[in-house]
Amino acid sequence: MGNPSDPGQVEKNREQELIARAQKGDRSAFAVLLREHQDEVYTLARRLVGDQHLASDVAQEALIRAWRALPKFRGDARLSTWLYRITVNTAWTHKKRAKRHQGASIDDHLELPAPVDAGHPEMAGEILELRERLRLALDRIPDAQREVVVLKDIYGWSHAEIAESMGISVTAAKVRLHRARGRLAKDLEETA
Amino acid sequence: MSVVCEMAAPFIANSAVDGGEVLPLFRSHTATCLKCQARHAAMARIARELAAMGSVRVAAPTDLEWRVMSSLDGELAVSRSWSRPIAWLAAVLSMTAAVLIWKLIPRRA
Repeated sequence: MGNPSDPGQVEKNREQELIARAQKGDRSAFAVLLREHQDEVYTLARRLVGDQHLASDVAQEALIRAWRALPKFRGDARLSTWLYRITVNTAWTHKKRAKRHQGASIDDHLELPAPVDAGHPEMAGEILELRERLRLALDRIPDAQREVVVLKDIYGWSHAEIAESMGISVTAAKVRLHRARGRLAKDLEETA
Repeated sequence: MSVVCEMAAPFIANSAVDGGEVLPLFRSHTATCLKCQARHAAMARIARELAAMGSVRVAAPTDLEWRVMSSLDGELAVSRSWSRPIAWLAAVLSMTAAVLIWKLIPRRA
């Protein structure tokens, strides 16, 4: 047990209490958890499927699935990690159904943090340009490869976590990442 | 760009992103190839930018919470309706009526 006066621990305890209540069917407790995590879920959905309307549907379905599966949540992982996994699975199912949405831009309306070198306008401009090229390059790689790059390089998941979430082997996840990074490097070089 | 540069590209990308060494097979080539070194440096910057994306949150649509909670309300309403004896009785009566109609309708030989 952590220090009960530690703000992080207090927050963790509060979330655990809400989870326990929601697991017993308390929907008001689930609504609080939903409000706290919906942005994270939606952001991941946007990155995985691109289209904002499809992402909204994915987020909705993921959160409904989370409610149904909540009694099975044992608390081994953080709630946000568990929600991410559900979102990845949901996005995967949705994308199979909605191929027509492919090709939408993955970060069309995502605001990235201001460049670190904001004091140096020439460098800030360079970073912004790089980000735009990166966004377009990510759009161009195949869905399966993009998902692995998003989960590994943006969210920092392990190969094992990616493999489990996507229902593929660890080797397949590594191969996809390897190919995706190669394509990204080549693509960015060509557009430089 | 040489064939070796092409083959080395994904390994250089992996090395730049993960911070590890380039595969030994390509190490001597990378040490002397300016193109591959430039690619390594570019990919390292890309890795930093990808990691920066991780801290960005997009606000969920304002109606997302309402949509989720409404769906849950709907599910609950359906499950509750089935738990009511009257709903069961209505279902049984409907099925009985359907079977009777099916039996009573004259059929062609």
